[in-house]
Amino acid sequence: MDFDPSTDRIVGTARVPNERKQNKPPVPVKIIVAGGFGVGKTTTVGAISEISPLTTEAEMTMESVGVDDPGPDSAKTTTTIAMDFGCVTIDHTLKLYLFGTPGQARFAFMWDDLIRGALGALVVVDTNRIDDCYPAVDYFERAGLPFVVGINTFNGQLGYSLDEVRWALAVRDEVPVLSFDARFRGSVRDALLVVLDQALDRAIKMRSS
Amino acid sequence: MTPPAGSDEPGRPATPGVRPFLHRSGAAAYRPQPPAGPDDQVPDGHISGLRPFVITSGRVDGVDPDIGMETQVTVHPDARPARLPPEQRAIVALCIEPHSVAEISALLKLHLGVARILVSDLRACGQLDVHVLDSEFPDPETIMRVIRGLRSIN
Repeated sequence: MDFDPSTDRIVGTARVPNERKQNKPPVPVKIIVAGGFGVGKTTTVGAISEISPLTTEAEMTMESVGVDDPGPDSAKTTTTIAMDFGCVTIDHTLKLYLFGTPGQARFAFMWDDLIRGALGALVVVDTNRIDDCYPAVDYFERAGLPFVVGINTFNGQLGYSLDEVRWALAVRDEVPVLSFDARFRGSVRDALLVVLDQALDRAIKMRSS
Repeated sequence: MTPPAGSDEPGRPATPGVRPFLHRSGAAAYRPQPPAGPDDQVPDGHISGLRPFVITSGRVDGVDPDIGMETQVTVHPDARPARLPPEQRAIVALCIEPHSVAEISALLKLHLGVARILVSDLRACGQLDVHVLDSEFPDPETIMRVIRGLRSIN
């Protein structure tokens, strides 16, 4: 039962014997990947992450119980939601995290925590269920977080034109609406670059004001 | 006790592949639906299912709000984790290398809220260093570095 980190800690090719020296951790930055269930959030995260997406579970807090419906057969009054995330190491001092979060309005209780310090958000949209992304769009608009609407083109097909989607979402003209394929790294990377572009705009504006 | 990496926990689903509430009523589900009204109040006021918080002695809040999911955590140079409970000891062992709170939660299969509380506790008792950022908002230079880093991904 003694603390012995050398049993399973391996750095590079070397086992690290009971190391007490402190590693300087990277500065973390994060982008939120939001959207309804099954729109491809985890696929998006997995396409670009250097690790396969990890899942963390968050217990719904008691304040949220009133708006949660765990179903008629359940005596539970709490709900566990799963959140997938991945990361991209930019260099040894900077690490980008991608958090995929359920877009339902009833989960908004945890978004305040989630978006603290976030660079921006990619709202993943399936044009067959476009209303699934409304809560996320509403939330990010209110919170003033830069976001980009990314239509996931399942099998390369875009059911509606980007203009039609923009009309349906009624987002401001500054909000980019683009299509991407969540399965491909290059496509996800380009979508994230648009998010970062928005984040950069905001950061420059905040600095000058 | 070692971190329960990869161990099977009966009665608890692993990574949810297909979520049961994913199903919608087919192609006709395109129409916006009114949000579930606040009518469904707590059925009987009976609260159950907070078992994970046994580990935290029942606390569900009181965490430093600066500890975010991506906040990096490392072991304190003078950490003496031998007498800690297993969950705490596992966290300290994991943080020999920097890990985010979210990674601690996922790798040790702790609820995110529990992981945050334990990390907060371990920081308070000098076992962990929690690297809270000075500024909540990343500066333009940092964002430019992220952009350059992403551009170099093929």
